[in-house]
Amino acid sequence: MTFDLAFALSIVPPIARALTTTLAVTLLSCVFAALLGFGLEITRRSSKPMRYAMRFVIDFIRSTPVLVQLYFLYYVLPVYGIKLPALVVGVAALSLYYCGYLAEVFKAGIDGIPKGQFEAAKALGLNRTKTVLLVIAPQMLRNIAAPMGNYFISIFKSTPYLAVIAVPESFGSALDIASDTFRYGEPMAVVGALFLAIAVTLSFLIRKFEAHLALSAQR
Amino acid sequence: MSFADVLAGIYQGFGVTASVTLLGMAYAVPFAFIAGVLQFSTRGWPHAAITAVIEFWRSSPVIILLYAFYYTLPGFGIRLSGLAVGGLVLGLNIGGYGSQAVRAALQSLDRGQAEAGRSLGFRRWQILLLIELPQALLAMMPTFVNQFIQLVKSTALVSLITLSDMTFRAKEISQLHYDPVKVYTGLLVAYFVLCYPATIIGRWLERKVGAGRKFAHDV
Repeated sequence: MTFDLAFALSIVPPIARALTTTLAVTLLSCVFAALLGFGLEITRRSSKPMRYAMRFVIDFIRSTPVLVQLYFLYYVLPVYGIKLPALVVGVAALSLYYCGYLAEVFKAGIDGIPKGQFEAAKALGLNRTKTVLLVIAPQMLRNIAAPMGNYFISIFKSTPYLAVIAVPESFGSALDIASDTFRYGEPMAVVGALFLAIAVTLSFLIRKFEAHLALSAQR
Repeated sequence: MSFADVLAGIYQGFGVTASVTLLGMAYAVPFAFIAGVLQFSTRGWPHAAITAVIEFWRSSPVIILLYAFYYTLPGFGIRLSGLAVGGLVLGLNIGGYGSQAVRAALQSLDRGQAEAGRSLGFRRWQILLLIELPQALLAMMPTFVNQFIQLVKSTALVSLITLSDMTFRAKEISQLHYDPVKVYTGLLVAYFVLCYPATIIGRWLERKVGAGRKFAHDV
């Protein structure tokens, strides 16, 4: 078997078109994973029983494969009458899986905020919601921009999992081409190169952004 | 089928899951150390070359690497079993992540350590083996444990290249007896039982190493 460059180039457009779905899934999953993760972390800090309960939830999420969580949501929800489009199930699975990791990132971010900030918020008479949203969140985000960005890249790299539940994203379209033409080399090389290029570019941008934040923090 | 029967059926795939994990470790650990040390100690084009190798394995989605290697290697006359390909791809992917822990741990050491070694007349490799790596080892441990969990979880992917691991067994059982709730809950539990102890150890190590670092700063 040889690598057919003309064939490889001919399949770039359909695979690249499916990137729209890949990127939409990535974006939605990043937003929901971050919101869920922040919610988990804030709940974990609310009381002692919650601390243990939420820690167990986070550990459970982190101790099972994302592929299995995806299967679970895809096959179990319909049994209870919850019929969702595959794309929604995929976003739900990625958000659920990564919220456990992001909660830990948020934990480190909040732990890194000086205690005086919490005391100052209390002295100013801010309630809990205002303290969290106006004092904690902005400072936390600066602390954790880099690790959070890395998890966003991981979410992007996990979107090909959604091919197993037939979400029409890039890897799925490459698999379709492969099974139609019985040629795996070219579609896998094209989709692999595409993901690699985007992932490396994103991680370069995150490093730049991190350096920028470090500089502006010094000022 | 009772839940216990389902769980027992799933654990029939434990041997394959364990084999892929162990084979993966056999690739991941040496790759992490060699690539991490090389990236730490080289400059110029050798540094660029080793970085490119690491990025290829680390930044490509692992599911794409798995399909690419499984389906295209035979075309180049390389016939490997699913187990061999799974171990290779999952291992080098995790090893790529591990290499960054090795490099970061080496970089975080005080420069004085290497300088002291030089002034005592040690050679470069002696400094690395006798002074730098032993001290860096502690800082790497939490990441290594977390990467081990990632490896165990990523073995679920080999079910897609027809290996009869735990996930594959679950899908088989699901086809024979339509009971997705039991099967996929069982599968989550099966992985959780394997990974949770490591999660706990990882958390504990993170605390220990974190405390150790703080202590070192105070002195």
